[in-house]
Amino acid sequence: MLFFLRRLAAAIPVLFAVSVFVFGFVRVLPGDPARLVAGADATEQEVASARQALGLDRPIWEQYVRYVGASLKGDLGVSSRTREPVIDVIAARFWPTLWLTLAAMGWATLAGTFIGVWAGTRRGRWQDQMAMLFAIGGLSFPGFWLGLLLINLFSVHLGWLPTGGFDSWLSLLMPSFTLGVGVAAVLARFSRSAYVDVAAEDYVRTARSKGLRERRVIWRHGVRNALIPVVTLTGLEFGTLLGGAIVVETVFAWPGLGRLLVDSIAFRDYPVIQAEILLLSAEFMLINLVIDMLYGVLNPEIRLRS
Amino acid sequence: MAPSHTPLLSLQNAARTLAFAVGLGLAAPALAAGQITVGVGDNILGLDPTDLNDSVSLSASRLFFQGLYGFDRDLKLVPVLAEKTDVNADSTQYTVHLRKDVKFHDGTPFNAEAVKINYDRLRDPANHLKRQSLLEAIDKVEVVDEFTVRLVLKAPSGVLLNYLAHSGASILSPKAIAQYGKDVSRNPVGTGPFVFTSWATDNLKAVRNPNYWRKGRPHLDAVTIRSVGESGARLALLRSGEAQFIFPLPQETVQVVEKDSRLAIDTTPSIVTQYVALNTQKKPFDDVRVRQALNYAIDKTAFIKVVYNGFGVPQDAPVAPGIAYYSKQGIWPYDPAKAKQLLAEAGYPNGFETEIWNFSNTLNNRASQFLQQQLGAVGVKLKLNPLEAGVATTRLWGAKTPEEAEVRMFFGSWAPSTGDADWALRPLLASRSFPPALYNISYFKDAEVDAELQKGFATADAGQRKAAYDRIQKLVWEKTPWIFLSVNTLVAGRDKRLTGLTQMPDTSLTYEDAVLQ
Repeated sequence: MLFFLRRLAAAIPVLFAVSVFVFGFVRVLPGDPARLVAGADATEQEVASARQALGLDRPIWEQYVRYVGASLKGDLGVSSRTREPVIDVIAARFWPTLWLTLAAMGWATLAGTFIGVWAGTRRGRWQDQMAMLFAIGGLSFPGFWLGLLLINLFSVHLGWLPTGGFDSWLSLLMPSFTLGVGVAAVLARFSRSAYVDVAAEDYVRTARSKGLRERRVIWRHGVRNALIPVVTLTGLEFGTLLGGAIVVETVFAWPGLGRLLVDSIAFRDYPVIQAEILLLSAEFMLINLVIDMLYGVLNPEIRLRS
Repeated sequence: MAPSHTPLLSLQNAARTLAFAVGLGLAAPALAAGQITVGVGDNILGLDPTDLNDSVSLSASRLFFQGLYGFDRDLKLVPVLAEKTDVNADSTQYTVHLRKDVKFHDGTPFNAEAVKINYDRLRDPANHLKRQSLLEAIDKVEVVDEFTVRLVLKAPSGVLLNYLAHSGASILSPKAIAQYGKDVSRNPVGTGPFVFTSWATDNLKAVRNPNYWRKGRPHLDAVTIRSVGESGARLALLRSGEAQFIFPLPQETVQVVEKDSRLAIDTTPSIVTQYVALNTQKKPFDDVRVRQALNYAIDKTAFIKVVYNGFGVPQDAPVAPGIAYYSKQGIWPYDPAKAKQLLAEAGYPNGFETEIWNFSNTLNNRASQFLQQQLGAVGVKLKLNPLEAGVATTRLWGAKTPEEAEVRMFFGSWAPSTGDADWALRPLLASRSFPPALYNISYFKDAEVDAELQKGFATADAGQRKAAYDRIQKLVWEKTPWIFLSVNTLVAGRDKRLTGLTQMPDTSLTYEDAVLQ
């Protein structure tokens, strides 16, 4: 618990540094947000009016002081693209992104690990080769193409599933499948090699020679130890997906954070870019913390050392 | 809002429920009578038309809002919430007589006071509304009586009614303005044929206005607008029956739609002109012979075929045929030999090297590549420089004077949303419109054009305006500040059961007469 709190406290200066960096970074980007807000056919007065409304006519230090001051009070500002409060803009995209990530990571972690271990226990046999063929296929199949194929089959021809959007949980099926394929493939390859390494360890041979049932040897002694690198990878993939999956979101018209970030950068929507990057950093730190704690669960030795 | 409470289902449950849903046909799109979905290519950014400048949001706002004037399908000015307008002799006072039978969706009566509140709100610089300049000619808005309003102008203007007809000058419910303040853009209340229901990120819903002032309309019960940016996915929306109308229909997918007996293609001539602005103040484009040579060097028909799959017509005047006071000049002939001859006369027998910019997207980049290939044939070597939209704002409008301008050639387009020659020409060709003021990227400066533009702007007399715009278009056509290319055709996909949904030349949709069989 103390470990958890200490890590959380350490995150605060990191987030502060990120906020400074992002604030500077968006302003270094070439492009005039006021002109983008006002439009190509705007008069000079309209552009000036937009600049004033966005607060960009003030000196940069004043903009930063205002930004930090408001952020500390929980006010992240207003999107220059839609004039909605940033917090609402992000919230509307966060939940669909979270559900999509959980669904994709859920099936991909289970399927990937299972296929990897299954292949590892049958190393060199046809099952192993089939599994690795799946893994290579899953990695090399472009998500964009897979998504359109699925839409064509399940929406256009069969009419079973909606083409996109997030209206019901049915609309979660195709995007989460498309998004998960690549992750499952990576995890399958990873867990296979991790398992193969662990299976060669002395303690596995010892367990087997004690006369334990093969199933117990595999799951209790083999898989549990092989899981540590797999957990690391799962965490990283999870963090990446939480940042939004631009390709899948685009194909399935999914209202996620990935498209929001791209749209916001194109529009130089400073408040939304700042808030979203801050959110992503916080998410990554939280996920790293959870991974570290999971190490302890999987291997008590790690817990003792820390 | 997105359903943030969607339960996460186990795989087993999901499979079971899927089997159940498929068995009952639940997943198939349920199409209630008179209910349609329209797929569009961009997100809706707001629903307050006075604060919008993107065509997708403005088009959506037309479900709910109307102005005193509007445009019919041929872009002719027609009264909407106004009955008629009296203009005084020197075009400085417009007395507008309003309809007496109109109510806003929230029951507030529509009257002169409502118009005054709306126009004063739009004109007030403190409100920072994006469409403020539409009414910049107005000095005072006076309520004459309950249904008469007088607009007193700062200077004579002949185009005021065209500005009032722009969606940006729509009339909002005064009660809603007071009640919602800035949030009025998420709570649209107008006089239009549909009433707002909800708006989530990619999804706008509206239902029929039962008290609509045009009796017997609209015919549809409900309209949903869905934003689907990816063109393949938008096409799937139409083919799966989830949407009954999609725009834009990617030109390369037209054949797929044509093969499907349930679907139809709708084409509409647009008012969007595509051209290359040539910086007339920098070498070698300061020589009119060079500019004319480039016009001779391009095969416009091939340009349209290659870049837009044939959906367009060659530009035959500086403004599109749908614009008021359009004056046909003919098409610049494709004559590479003549182009070479003119280049030689101008002192460039071996051509020259230069750079072309465009806002980067697939079609624009393809257009620049085509120009590079054709101009290469007469010795003009183009370096392509597609600019991301944000970067382009700095490169185009960053220059404070013509001398500072870096632009040499810019492939771009213009959609004059007032439907009038003034806004089709003045922002692009008046010497007062050099960036950063407006969009005269060719830095074209011609005393006669400037004078005629002012004449056309300052009078409401149709004969005088016609004379001014005829002269301007002839001059511009000869002086060629641009390479004149094309006027594009809008392409949409439609379910054949849906009729009467019209697309306007400025891309916006009119739902009032739409019927779903």
